[in-house]
Amino acid sequence: MTVPPSGSTRSDAGPTSAALVPPPLENRLADAPRYAALHGLAPVGTRPPLRTYVRDLWGKRAFIRVLATSKAYAENQTTYLGQLWTILNPLLNAIVYIAIFGFLMGARAGTENVIAFIVVGTFIFRFFDASVSAGSRSITGNASLVRSLRFPRAVLPVAGVLAQLATLLPALVVMCVVVLVSQLVPGMGAVPLGWRWLLLAPAVGLLWVFSTGCAFIAGRLVAVAPDVANVIPFVMRFVMYGSGVIFSIDSYVSSESSPALYAILTYQPVAVYLDLARSAILNEPSITTDPVTWIVGAGWALVALVGGFTYFWRGEERYGRD
Amino acid sequence: MTDEIDFEVDAEDLDQVATQKEVGEPSLVVDDLSVTYRIVGGGHAPTETAGSLLRRVVGRGRRHVGAVHEVKAIRNVSFVARQGEAIGILGINGSGKSTLLRAIAGLVPSSGGSVYSVGAPSLLGVNAVLMSQLSGERNIMVGGLAMGLSPKEVNARFDDIVEFSGIGDSVYLPMRTYSSGMAARLRFAISAAATPDILMIDEALATGDADFRQRSKERMDAIRDHASTVFLVSHSIATVASMCTRAMWLDHGRLVMDGPVGDVTAAYAEFIRAKHRERDAARGEQASGH
Repeated sequence: MTVPPSGSTRSDAGPTSAALVPPPLENRLADAPRYAALHGLAPVGTRPPLRTYVRDLWGKRAFIRVLATSKAYAENQTTYLGQLWTILNPLLNAIVYIAIFGFLMGARAGTENVIAFIVVGTFIFRFFDASVSAGSRSITGNASLVRSLRFPRAVLPVAGVLAQLATLLPALVVMCVVVLVSQLVPGMGAVPLGWRWLLLAPAVGLLWVFSTGCAFIAGRLVAVAPDVANVIPFVMRFVMYGSGVIFSIDSYVSSESSPALYAILTYQPVAVYLDLARSAILNEPSITTDPVTWIVGAGWALVALVGGFTYFWRGEERYGRD
Repeated sequence: MTDEIDFEVDAEDLDQVATQKEVGEPSLVVDDLSVTYRIVGGGHAPTETAGSLLRRVVGRGRRHVGAVHEVKAIRNVSFVARQGEAIGILGINGSGKSTLLRAIAGLVPSSGGSVYSVGAPSLLGVNAVLMSQLSGERNIMVGGLAMGLSPKEVNARFDDIVEFSGIGDSVYLPMRTYSSGMAARLRFAISAAATPDILMIDEALATGDADFRQRSKERMDAIRDHASTVFLVSHSIATVASMCTRAMWLDHGRLVMDGPVGDVTAAYAEFIRAKHRERDAARGEQASGH
């Protein structure tokens, strides 16, 4: 290669590359919408009507199922103990809280069997926490999937929560075993096995629906403002301590001294689902549930699902922009 | 990836010529399409802010807090694609080629204009990230279902996909253990398992050896028989020339040329040669300066 003398670099090189780029084409159709309609073409990238969206989502149920089970399985794939971690994780989590709150601090007021109380609380709450967290990452964490394939984006939060449910189910078996064993520990109240244990299934079912609704909301919020993902763990921590996951809230807030606060703490959704789950398998006189509690639980689930889904759907055409 | 790849002519591709098919009804209308990316946390180029100390401090702080940067990736692009056409999209890196395909597929929201299409355009790319922790087998199911196949259809095409990708028994290993070539071939094989109305291929053919490229071309021709329109984004002028009937040239997000593949590739090749000369000249200048 010959080195041209400095100063005359482009004299012998022909036209510059910039000069070889033609001007932008001015080829816009006079009436594109009409032209498209005439040839039976449909607009792309617009948000489908709610009814169509629900139908599309239903049509993707096989995809949701496979995505959820794959995600659940993939989570613990890179460890030696593998899938054993789906039960070890919540168990270790429960042990930490039992050791600190149940024994070290002795926050046992209002509980007959603090081990069973905390185990049920942490296992159930962990599912909710993980579901919302999975929902919040559903768009941002699957950006490449969102950018390469077209499907109703609601698939992602639904699959994210379903993956958590898939990891919860084996954990629930462990939870029940721990609860049964806990009555053998001196000082712990009895937890008789009975038909009412079956009520755990609808309680978890309602929580699942509620969590899916929350996951929709978290998913859109984080997709729009990624900063929200940093705030969610603190909100979750607040909800955890405010819902009596590891200690009985009733012993700290009484209905006589502050009725409004008591009502809020009792009927807020997470507390309701914890009460429903605990009343199903524990034997705690302080936890009283009646049909009203079930109705409130179903109501929260419905409100969260419908509200969350609609909210998520309204952002549909914007996902994948960043 | 560097510019150099753009104009490297691969001898193996030269003897292939795209099979001309009858051009029919419009299958895609793109009307004044613009796409703007909003990049959160992307810094602006450092600017010398004159003025008070306060303004300088605030100006500097803006780069770290509340930094939102807008990039106009596609600007006012309009065209009509017809059935039976294979359209190559040319342009240097960052000219908006991939973004255009994504916007047409409805994957990236547009900031202006609209796209009309027959059926659902499907984007086939080696960039489609599958789940690396899962086995190839599992990914075939996930990918197939995501593209709209039923579980039955995926199972029916499973052997075909594995054979086409040529990864053999590795399909049962997690994808993170694959070489990048194996992963890219599997992605291509999964994407090519469905036959959409409008097929868009992003850099897919750059992967694999000559044998795989040959099979890819055959598969693409087969898909073209079913799909009405094919789009191809490639760095290689030779690939576009051999596979497409029509070409578009994008520059800084603007459509600057659209026509028969021979005309566009010729003009584009001249532009690339000029760019090449300029870079050499700039290097020469640098060298003589020392």
